[in-house]
Amino acid sequence: MRDRAGILVLLALSLAPFTLGPGDDAFQREYDLAARMILCDCGCSPQSVHDCACGRAAEMRTEIASAIRGGKTGTEVVDGYVARHGEKIRICPTASGFNLLAWLGPGVALLVGAAASVLVLRRWKHTSAKRDEVSRAAPLAADDPYVLRVQEHLKEYE
Amino acid sequence: MMAVELGYYGLFVALLAAAWATIASVLAAASRERGLQGSAERSLVVSFAFIVVAAVCLEVGFLSNDFRLDYVFHYSSVSQPIPYKIGALWGGQSGSLLLWVMILGAMSVIVLWTNRRKNRALMPGITAVLGVVVTFFLVLLNFVESPFTLGPPRSDGVGLNPQLKNYWMMIHPPCLYLGYVGFTVPFAFAISALANRRTGDIWFRTTRRWTLFSWFFLGTGILMGSYWAYIELGWGGYWAWDPVENASLMPWLTATAFLHSVMIQEKKGMLKVWNVLLVILTFSLSIFGTFLTRSGIISSVHAFATSDIGPAFGLFLGIVFFGSLALVILRLPDLKTEARFESLVSRESSFLFNNLVLVGIAATVLFLTTFPMLSELATGRKVTMGPPIFNLVNIPWALFLLLLTGIGPLIAWRKATASSLRRNFLLPCATGFWVLLAVFFLAPRAYLAGVADLVRTMASLDVAAAFDRLKIFYPALTFALGAFVLGTVALEFHRGIRARRVQHGESFPLALGLLVWRNKRRYGGYIVHVGIVLIFFGIAGSAAYQKEVVHELSPGEVLEVDGYQLRYDGYRLEAIDDHLGAVTEVSLFQDGRRVAALEAEQRFHPNMVFPELRDAFLRARTLSREDPRTYQDAVARLYALIEHLERGAGREVKTPSTEVAIHASMSPLAPTRFGEDFYLTPLWVDPGSGRANFRVFVNPMVNFIWIGAFVLVLGAHLAVLPDARERKRLAVTLALEERAVA
Repeated sequence: MRDRAGILVLLALSLAPFTLGPGDDAFQREYDLAARMILCDCGCSPQSVHDCACGRAAEMRTEIASAIRGGKTGTEVVDGYVARHGEKIRICPTASGFNLLAWLGPGVALLVGAAASVLVLRRWKHTSAKRDEVSRAAPLAADDPYVLRVQEHLKEYE
Repeated sequence: MMAVELGYYGLFVALLAAAWATIASVLAAASRERGLQGSAERSLVVSFAFIVVAAVCLEVGFLSNDFRLDYVFHYSSVSQPIPYKIGALWGGQSGSLLLWVMILGAMSVIVLWTNRRKNRALMPGITAVLGVVVTFFLVLLNFVESPFTLGPPRSDGVGLNPQLKNYWMMIHPPCLYLGYVGFTVPFAFAISALANRRTGDIWFRTTRRWTLFSWFFLGTGILMGSYWAYIELGWGGYWAWDPVENASLMPWLTATAFLHSVMIQEKKGMLKVWNVLLVILTFSLSIFGTFLTRSGIISSVHAFATSDIGPAFGLFLGIVFFGSLALVILRLPDLKTEARFESLVSRESSFLFNNLVLVGIAATVLFLTTFPMLSELATGRKVTMGPPIFNLVNIPWALFLLLLTGIGPLIAWRKATASSLRRNFLLPCATGFWVLLAVFFLAPRAYLAGVADLVRTMASLDVAAAFDRLKIFYPALTFALGAFVLGTVALEFHRGIRARRVQHGESFPLALGLLVWRNKRRYGGYIVHVGIVLIFFGIAGSAAYQKEVVHELSPGEVLEVDGYQLRYDGYRLEAIDDHLGAVTEVSLFQDGRRVAALEAEQRFHPNMVFPELRDAFLRARTLSREDPRTYQDAVARLYALIEHLERGAGREVKTPSTEVAIHASMSPLAPTRFGEDFYLTPLWVDPGSGRANFRVFVNPMVNFIWIGAFVLVLGAHLAVLPDARERKRLAVTLALEERAVA
């Protein structure tokens, strides 16, 4: 029975951050910042302590709430976790150093890809125009694949 | 015992047959010997027959509780309900591989049958590719990961992972596998076409339906998995960017790109290299998905199926991908474009950009999924790639794709003129603009503050924060672009119907029906676009406007959440099937009116390996029809026993899971709530007092995702239906290519 009471106390503590009055805005802001940034280390899919529905997340929420009640800011709590567990405890990497590749790489790739596509298309257009000039001088043979394809499409409309 | 031996040797015979099918078809390709090809094809059929025998034998093992089989011991138990015993076949590693190869075997037989009188020149190559893939999986099943490994006699098994005991989870993996495996067929045709220097239209025209079929099943499998996560995992979401989720999304994206770009090859004879590359990439990504699931190189929620077959998959993937690339390079002279390109403002270039974005998103997902490995290699530091970075980096791409979804169908082939652009896009653009304006005026101050905040953040060069500040604009942009796409689709339907009514004097319903029926592929595609827009709406609405509350309640207490009143009426304890749990009974009110009675459950699946616990559980279960009080007391004692055993063992002797309760608002009478879910999960229930810790989500518009999925299924079905004109076109192409080769 004492064990059950212990569990209830633990759970009540874990609920603390969710049962606050309107005067606790600052607490909630700092708590959210930390709980949404710290990874739940339960080993399932990568989810923040805030989102994960497992028992381990409940324990970690309690730890975070206590730390903030103890006067730490959300950033300090995150830094504390990083100091103990390493960078991998962050739900996603900071946008600095090598990690910038993850944050900016795809966007840059999109722009480069779009620019390359425009260049390729312009080249195709240029090549096509040239080919047109040549074909005007020498008409396509009757068994040219392009002619056969056109004939095939024309048949559909007959 | 008989079934075990039959299954074991059945797999071995299947391997021999598949290996011979590969060798014989390669010899047939080299010698053009018809007898050898016939032998290869018959061997592939024999291989499939023995794979089926092995799968049936394993199912017999599950149904007869043959726990000497290690696989049955790990994924079943005496008390496991029969549907889950059958579904446990794909609950673990070797069974999943067996299911995979069985589906591939079935598809191979269908390919052989449907091509028994056509594509004969391509068939040796196709049989060889199918044979290689079947042989690879059978080697794994025979020598690395056999489902017929025997252990000591056991009276009961561990049982299936509780989270997998869900109807959707039973059909989600086979559905995904139909998609993954199906891509082998277009891949086999493409490789054979390259090897035989028959790089014309036949390979992709013959496999169009296969590609659509695989794309459809993979997409449906992904959506089913999302729905399973939503109703089972209890965190109120449906997509966590788990590596294995990503692995299924990547081939779906490249297949979507292929379905679009192949239209350019069909109409204009362009993008031949690109299309072959897309098919190779799609098949390789399907294998990569399995590699990721099975190797455990990246931690995942799907870790329940990891093992040490990763290196074999890695090697196979490498051979497939680089070998295919080498073949493409070798055949580049045969893959020259036939047609001319006239303008950057044309459907051709719009499709090219659509491909760029689809492949770009797939590449981004691949890059971010594997970034932890890259980071460790480059810096020695491990990092985690959670949902925020995937969302923030991918959303701009996805919105651009949504824009192209609207542009593609309406922009003219070859060259769009200013007047055609005006005619086609004025109305859809106006629709999108008005929606954007309406969303802006719902919260003008928030948007203006968002702009100022974004500018400030960008000035401070804080990249992550800048991405985060962009979030506020995404819902508005999604709704506006979605409205634009719906506008383009509506315009296409309107014009088609009007033309039919003018030409044939048909009534509106008849004109609509005939328009769609006579152009199934085109209008099926438009309906798919509508489904995609609805899915985008659902994601945007539920992600941006979700409300969440976690609160502790005692029976009789009331909680207010976003216009809903939740009254916790009471609870009951249960011990049924293979779990015990507390079912909370909740009444849901809106404006003082009771709208739903909900039951959400917190379950524990006892570890049956502890005899004391097993006996107590079975005893409690038999009391379910006795006096309710006696029954409740017996289940409460089970809770106490579990606590006691865990204290003694120093570890958990139960696996927890939740059954969420959902009330969906689907009444058109309340349009602002339409598609919204009230989502309730009990995080913890005290079995003595009933005091419970509830997590409540209000997810606006989330049902648009599932409605969109339904619309998508409808459109895909329409597009895949047989079409007489298409059949005729295929016959003409076949004849043309035969003539060209002769």
